[in-house]
Amino acid sequence: MSSPPDGEVIGRSLGEPEAFGLIYDRHAPTLLRFLGRRVGARVAEGLVGELFRIAFERRETFDASRTNALPWLYGIGSNVLLKHRRAEARRLRASARMLAAGPAVDRRASAAALDARVLFPRVADAIETLPDPEREALLLFAWEELPYEAVAEALELPIGTVRSRLNRARARLRELIEPKGKGRNRRR
Amino acid sequence: MKPVDLAKKLRRDAAFEPAVLDRGKAALMAAIQQEALPTRRPIIIPQLPYADIRAALSFLERAFGFREIPSSRMQAADGVIHHALVEFGDGVIGIGTQGAHGAVSPQSGGIESQYISVAVADVQAHYQRALAAGARIAKEPRPGGHAYEALDSEGHRWRFVHERLREVPTR
Repeated sequence: MSSPPDGEVIGRSLGEPEAFGLIYDRHAPTLLRFLGRRVGARVAEGLVGELFRIAFERRETFDASRTNALPWLYGIGSNVLLKHRRAEARRLRASARMLAAGPAVDRRASAAALDARVLFPRVADAIETLPDPEREALLLFAWEELPYEAVAEALELPIGTVRSRLNRARARLRELIEPKGKGRNRRR
Repeated sequence: MKPVDLAKKLRRDAAFEPAVLDRGKAALMAAIQQEALPTRRPIIIPQLPYADIRAALSFLERAFGFREIPSSRMQAADGVIHHALVEFGDGVIGIGTQGAHGAVSPQSGGIESQYISVAVADVQAHYQRALAAGARIAKEPRPGGHAYEALDSEGHRWRFVHERLREVPTR
């Protein structure tokens, strides 16, 4: 059985609102995981509901020629997340602590473990201090593994802008993680 | 290690129960159904306070033929109804909680500060229906008359008149 592309389903839902349920069936698991990574499972449950209600209300604005609604839904999700920056920051710091603590390792690895203890909280802080547009582009790219085109579609930006935001985000991270004139940079 | 790879390492998945997806779907479909309902925007909705909304809704339907709009009901988890809308023809009336918005039911206030007149096609038939449902008649219809007044379950006064007498001049 062939299933109609998202654009067609959303187009149909304009006259037949219940059809929108299929969009939920197709993409809710992915978006719940996306939101869960950012704010944790408990907050994500509420947000996924908000995301789909907004999507339903705005379904007229979806370009019906698109086959996949996922990037558009990611974009709505990104906006919904903006209101929950505190929960996001908390979770990011907790992830960093968890990674930094890591399992006990043998002697040879202990240097790396020490590095990690310092490094991960620093990366977490760095991500957190990125300006919203850069953080969003970075996390859609690195965590959701969306290609540039999909990130551009989600954030409603030209692809060139996405590229430059990602570059800025990378540069800022590098700067924050490896302050100039410190340890490992000296050798260069 | 590249900055993006470091960022990737911080990605952590949250475990969620499968029931979360079902709950989300149910909530979305309920919202969609709400949206799909035909709506109207009356300019004026009279709001009447009642001490017992459930009893009022039942009485207004039995005696006067006012039907509750099912999707309008606002009900707390404990089953207490806080507000509902009833319709009659193209008219809509809000049935609210006494004390809310400063409105008092005549049952406890002891006075009727207003009455509402309603146009009906057959005044006599309407009167018989109200009588049979146990409505207190405040003003009997005159023989062959075209109006009567009744009090509802909490003493709000209603005047039912023949629809021909309900015409409002346009200027």
